[in-house]
Amino acid sequence: MPIKGLKRKFGIQKILSEGDLEAIHRGTLRVLAETGVAVNHEKALKLYADAGCLVDFSTNRVRFPQWLVEQALAQCPSIYRVKARNPENDMILSGEGDVTYFSPSCGMNTLDLDTWTPKVPTRKEYYDFIKVCDALPHVHMQACFPYYGFARLPQAMSLIESCAGKIRYSDKVQMEGWVLDNYRWNIEMCKATGQDIFCLGNPGAPLTYSKEQIDNLIYTVESDMVLHFASGVVSGATGPSTLAGSIIADNANAIPGMVLAQLIRPGARIWLGNMMFVQNMATGSPAFGAIENSLLVAGYNQLLRKYRIPNWSITSGFVSSKTIDYQAGYETALAALIAVNSGSSMVFLQGGLTAQLTAHPVKAIMDDDIAGMVKRYLEGIEVTDETLAVDLINEVGPIPGHFLNRAHTRTWWKKEQFLPGVADRLSYAEWVEKGQKNAIDHAKEKMEQILAVHKPNLLTPQQEQAVEDILKEARNYYRKNGMISDEEWKAYQEDLNSPQYPFA
Amino acid sequence: MANNILENLKKAVVEFNLEGAADLARQAMEEKVDPLEALNALTAGIREVGDGYGRGDYFLPELVGAADAMQAAVPIIEEEIKKSGSVKQSIGKVVIGTVSGDIHTIGKGMVTSLLIARGFEVHDIGIDVPTEKFIESVEQLEPQILAMSALLSMTAPETKKVIDSLTEAGLRDKVKVMIGGGAITEDYAKAVGADGYSPTAPGAVNLAEKMLGIN
Repeated sequence: MPIKGLKRKFGIQKILSEGDLEAIHRGTLRVLAETGVAVNHEKALKLYADAGCLVDFSTNRVRFPQWLVEQALAQCPSIYRVKARNPENDMILSGEGDVTYFSPSCGMNTLDLDTWTPKVPTRKEYYDFIKVCDALPHVHMQACFPYYGFARLPQAMSLIESCAGKIRYSDKVQMEGWVLDNYRWNIEMCKATGQDIFCLGNPGAPLTYSKEQIDNLIYTVESDMVLHFASGVVSGATGPSTLAGSIIADNANAIPGMVLAQLIRPGARIWLGNMMFVQNMATGSPAFGAIENSLLVAGYNQLLRKYRIPNWSITSGFVSSKTIDYQAGYETALAALIAVNSGSSMVFLQGGLTAQLTAHPVKAIMDDDIAGMVKRYLEGIEVTDETLAVDLINEVGPIPGHFLNRAHTRTWWKKEQFLPGVADRLSYAEWVEKGQKNAIDHAKEKMEQILAVHKPNLLTPQQEQAVEDILKEARNYYRKNGMISDEEWKAYQEDLNSPQYPFA
Repeated sequence: MANNILENLKKAVVEFNLEGAADLARQAMEEKVDPLEALNALTAGIREVGDGYGRGDYFLPELVGAADAMQAAVPIIEEEIKKSGSVKQSIGKVVIGTVSGDIHTIGKGMVTSLLIARGFEVHDIGIDVPTEKFIESVEQLEPQILAMSALLSMTAPETKKVIDSLTEAGLRDKVKVMIGGGAITEDYAKAVGADGYSPTAPGAVNLAEKMLGIN
């Protein structure tokens, strides 16, 4: 079965010299050996100590010998399959950077496209977003969440219901959004529907793993699911303000989790994350969309190519812009292109705005054109006797000869050109004649069209029942633990008993 | 048998098969297929591609390819029509060319293809066409419409020369003149005395229909 991801025809761009790359690697080893990380989890501390780490049980500090880090890096598979419910959508992740996939970015909320005001999505808006992502050709994996749940859900159930929604409405590869101990239910729903799920074991920066993070890590690895670490270093805040120092900090945050995963299950499927930002020193928040974030992506990608570990470029999915505008476009496009050019295995891309406080399917549709253009770029220039077309050029000769009426043109132009789905490419006169529509107008129309015609591959009745049983268990668990209030429970029950449930 | 050939003629156009269209046209004439029906089959083919272009299913290379396939077959059939003395049906006759000093051919080709697809009889007299040749073609072919293309601001004034010469030759009231191309604007078309202007190729077809009172 052919791989659906993007395959490159030319080399990966390297932005660091071999010496600089080695210096970053060695810097990481020194941090891990000299300072180590705080791991607030008793069982993990024992596992680290048994494996040869220096563990101070009074401060929960773990220091790593170089050989153990190198050994664990070598144990990470450099190529592996991630199963989707539909085998045609399986992903083959490679540490060589030779295949790239895209996933939607996400937002806490949706937004009003006239006023650009964030708003909590309805159940229907939530399912519509998944449906659009299911239909878009360059979405290879469903995001950790398109929105953080939807209206009238209890907080504790938000990302579990969110995960169930993605499982029900899309047969592409799944990724969970992690909060509390929700990974348990997410993993079980994926197991019950015969697929893998990417789980997040994100450490805290700098150099800290909480008990909950380690619980998640252990459960995920023992369930044989794919685990991801991205600490979210912010240069100048949770990491040094220098880019090289930030890469070391991010790497030193991620490696202890990776080592623990390999200690529990040698060969555990790991991918490391790339979620670094420079700090916006005027506001105190990360400077989303900054070009330096892309330098961090490119630099860390190069290090992960050396380790031969697949990676996820998350940074590209974050833009500062609050509206679908020029800034949103360049922030998204530049980040995506640089990520792919420097060998990302997965690029977080379609849909997000306002640093993931909001997202919208219309933006996702426009971003899918960026993905298509990047894909075309990676495919490069095909050089064969036929594409060189020397005989044809000779045959056509000078003016009035031209190529428009040639069979060669009809055969090749569509292979050579990517046709964007929503970009406006009309002549000025045609544009006026057709109502002066821009890419956003086209994307809105395309969204309506997708929602009208796209039919997701739904679960079988047995799978649906299995998902529902797991959801029921989760509901009872959080209700019993007092994490769902009476008020939340009442609204939730009303929706669960609606004749439209589980859909809108 | 005849139906089969007609179906294949249409297919040759839809499949951009220049040689096939010409061969089939010859075969059809040898087998005494009604030349007017043969012409209708070709027109049905080009219309199918033209409609596809309008919907965005086909693009310029396909449109031009289909028009070329049709044009490869048309002269063979027309010869037969002349011999038999039948009257060829078309919704209107257009002479089209790119003005003197201008060698742009693609835009003119688009308009030609779309006019043919719509059912017009189109005589493409080429690029870098001198004024005299435009006048001569109007005299001999007696079209209802003369279409001129000019892409360069340098060559746009050629359109005025042709229009003035039509007047001098006493032909101006016998033919509608439409002009287009990158260098032409609505105001410019009015200033040089053209009857119409369109900024786009599909617009040129609408304009031609409007000029001849076709709905």
